[in-house]
Amino acid sequence: MLKKLLLLVAVTTTISLSAVAASLQDVENSFYPYKNSTPTFDGLTVGMIINKDNVEQFKAILDPAMYQFIKTGDTEIKVGETTSFDLHSSYVEATKANLANVKLGDKPGEISGSIAGRPFPEEPSLDDSRAGEKLAWNYKYGYNWGDSAAIQPFYWKFRNMKNGKLERTLKFNFHFLNFTHRTQQAPVPAITPNPSNLFRGIYVQVLEPFDVKNTQLLIQRFEDDLKRDNAYLYLGFQRRVRRLSSGQVTDSFLGSDVMIEDFEGYNGRISDMTWTFKGTKNMLVPMYNHNEMILDSETHKDDEGYQVVSFGGKGSCFPNVTYQLRKVYEVESASVDPNHPISKRSHFIDAQTFTIPRNITYDRKGDMWKSWSIGQAHPDHHLPKNKGTGVAIDDAFTMIDIQAQHCTTGQFKGIVDPTLTPASKMTVQNLRSSGR
Amino acid sequence: MSKKMKCSINKLAVGIAIGMIGLSGAYSAPTMASETEFSGFVENASYYRDEVGLSKFRNTAQVEFRKILQSDSWSNVTINGILRGTYDGVYDLNDDEFGKDASEAYLGESWHDNSTLSSQALLTPGVYFPCDNNATYCNNLDGYMDHDENDAKFPEFNDELDFIRELYISGDKILDDGTTLNLTFGKQQVVWGKTDLFRVLDVINPVDYSRHNIYDELEDIRIPQWMLTAEWRMGPNDIFDDSNLSLIWNIDKFRPSNLGTCGQSYRILDAGCFFASSVGPVPVIHDVQEYDWDLSNTQFGIKWEGVYGDMTFSLNALHYRQQLPSIHFRGNPDFNPATFNPADIASFPFQADGIFDIYFPRVNLLGGSFDYYSEGIDAVWRLETSYTQGEELPRDTDGHKETDMFRYVIGFDKNLVIPALASSAFLISAQVFGEHILDHEIDMPNEEDNWIGTLLIKGWYINNRLSPQIIIAHDVGAKATVIAPSIEYLVTDTWKVNLGLNIKTGGDEKFPWSATGLFGQPGVSQYEPLARFTNGPIGVANNEDELQLTVRYSF
Repeated sequence: MLKKLLLLVAVTTTISLSAVAASLQDVENSFYPYKNSTPTFDGLTVGMIINKDNVEQFKAILDPAMYQFIKTGDTEIKVGETTSFDLHSSYVEATKANLANVKLGDKPGEISGSIAGRPFPEEPSLDDSRAGEKLAWNYKYGYNWGDSAAIQPFYWKFRNMKNGKLERTLKFNFHFLNFTHRTQQAPVPAITPNPSNLFRGIYVQVLEPFDVKNTQLLIQRFEDDLKRDNAYLYLGFQRRVRRLSSGQVTDSFLGSDVMIEDFEGYNGRISDMTWTFKGTKNMLVPMYNHNEMILDSETHKDDEGYQVVSFGGKGSCFPNVTYQLRKVYEVESASVDPNHPISKRSHFIDAQTFTIPRNITYDRKGDMWKSWSIGQAHPDHHLPKNKGTGVAIDDAFTMIDIQAQHCTTGQFKGIVDPTLTPASKMTVQNLRSSGR
Repeated sequence: MSKKMKCSINKLAVGIAIGMIGLSGAYSAPTMASETEFSGFVENASYYRDEVGLSKFRNTAQVEFRKILQSDSWSNVTINGILRGTYDGVYDLNDDEFGKDASEAYLGESWHDNSTLSSQALLTPGVYFPCDNNATYCNNLDGYMDHDENDAKFPEFNDELDFIRELYISGDKILDDGTTLNLTFGKQQVVWGKTDLFRVLDVINPVDYSRHNIYDELEDIRIPQWMLTAEWRMGPNDIFDDSNLSLIWNIDKFRPSNLGTCGQSYRILDAGCFFASSVGPVPVIHDVQEYDWDLSNTQFGIKWEGVYGDMTFSLNALHYRQQLPSIHFRGNPDFNPATFNPADIASFPFQADGIFDIYFPRVNLLGGSFDYYSEGIDAVWRLETSYTQGEELPRDTDGHKETDMFRYVIGFDKNLVIPALASSAFLISAQVFGEHILDHEIDMPNEEDNWIGTLLIKGWYINNRLSPQIIIAHDVGAKATVIAPSIEYLVTDTWKVNLGLNIKTGGDEKFPWSATGLFGQPGVSQYEPLARFTNGPIGVANNEDELQLTVRYSF
């Protein structure tokens, strides 16, 4: 009996310790999952096309929405080689430095000890009731766009999926800046002064068309996740800054199929959702080398010769990029607010980069509503300036409203360059001065 | 202002304008960072007024440009411009109602009946476009509300070069402490305040109400001014998330708001026709005081704004001139009620060559604003307030009185999903404007305290391409209401159609005019001339119910 008790104590202690204290090996495994081998699947080969004729064979490595799209012939995908997207070494080192310090608080949205780096690099467990929340924190404090970056320009196209009609083209500049959790761009780990303890800023400026030109959006996210974002909108035709209520964050952004909360896969508070880890799997996700893709020579031209990703498939709603078999974490986020327009999202989070290349959004009734893809381009095969930055470059998105058969596509020129996004970009005053 | 001085300033303005445009378009030094960006639109706005016919056939072409310049010591150096030209064909297409050949049967025919002495006989009908029809009135109004018909048809092509709506150069200097100094010089709009339809703090630029009363976006009806602005962008510090100090120096020759000349299709408060009428042979307006360009006549202001937690705020101070006319009574020093003879001008209580002079007094404004996001109700509250010294308001006795004024607006903005309407979230924006006259007199047509409420509800359908909205405004004191539903459809990125209605009620308030007592109607409330102020811009436009169609092609 005593032996059993000792054994129980030992096992409990082991489980408990593994739940709170990640090891350097965990860090290694988390950041370099393909160091020793890449995932495989029966019959899957690099270069092959998965279409409606062979999709059943690969159903297990497709998310439900992609499976449906391929099955119905809306699109087909080409398989690319699985490659390692090594994040910048400074982010990895910051993870190691803070390894033993990060803890969840009592309530969702509470965390302590996270200075920089990946908060929870350990492998998630289905037995851990808060594993989903930890993965959400890994995403929130991820190296998405690094410490700062700009997308300029950024083309959004509204398309009727049924007939392929291009309804509207918006041209933006987007800027991202981390005030805290910085690892690579000076200053690290935080920009000061920062009296409200902001974590991140997102600044958006509309360049075209004329009717929304100079519309600007500023989102200020706080380090305190329980505090709601400050969001400001500048309307060019009114020349003034207005505060946004959160209702606009979950509403169609400028008429697109995307809500502000959808940006980057999820753009909200951890505490707005209940996060559930559903499992680890190998899945085909749109991650690739930009320079090797079929590019769009019409939408964007510049002196650098940069071209954006092209789109095809039904209604031209699908990026012409390759998909590689990668380790993903499936996480479900259910909205806490019963009045939220969605019931839940299924996130397929890339385990190495903690970007979210695939999402499925469900409406309040629980029916599949929207499908989100955001292609991740390897920084070493993109703009020369991005080489060596260790940032998985958001490169092409599509948000498909499955029910309305409508989509919004996005074509990026993502640039990791701190000079493009100074802290002054993230101020209310910048909205006024830029909108003159 | 002398013609010579006016001519010199215009030449200077033309020179600066040509220089800037040349710099932006033709200069091709290797340091140039970018091509000039162009955008703009052409638009037709055709409005049909009930029982009047066409009230607007406005054709507008607008070009906007921006050029980024490179500089070794300055950043974000740009030249920006907006050029606009308008032809309003209503004066050719509906010349029975508007234009130099049209007329009114009695003063105020457009908004009230002809039931009182002041309308029937004492005040003559307003002369449409006095500079086309009456040399005396034209001369008396020289410099203000003296447009002729061509000015109304082509409002931007005038001595003030209004076709250059904006033209300014702007640049940032990064200071040693990391803060930024921005300097902007040129013809520009500077916007303080965040209100719709009516203004509290947004008073730096005068407004052209002749374009479409209060209903066009202020962006399109502010009258740009030549100004120098300096902004010290301090950014965050240990207390504030953002802090900015700006100085404004309006070096332009003073221009008042344009209320619309008699004969135009939009003349707010019908002031233009009152100014173009007379009592018997005596013109209502004797002279308009102009303020020559002089350093001491320039206007200036300072604003400190910032962000503190969930609150954005500003503190404002402005020294400027009142943009609405103040009418100063020109009394007859020899007037004796006992010897008053309606047939003898010399016995009138006012001088024989005109009853009023128009002035634009100096005003000092102190004000502030803040926005606060209330998480509990997921809505934004806005407060804007101003206290002014030096304003002059109309009154029966002596024509005017100087009084301090207190104004405020409380705004509430919320986005609300209405499932039954199956739209994106509706924007609901409500405002209550309050005005308190501190030194109110019983003979002032304006209420001591008055409020105007506005409500905007706007929805979006079909990926924001179809947008219905309704604007309602109610003037409590005037008992006047406007309801303006409209629907906008973006056919493509370049074509946009807007169809709307603009329905008004009110215009029933009367106010006594002591002058009529001499002519046999002592103490009788009536429309002319003071009730136009009581009825306000909504009530005086009570007969201007319109169906409005606007088609725009943008590029």
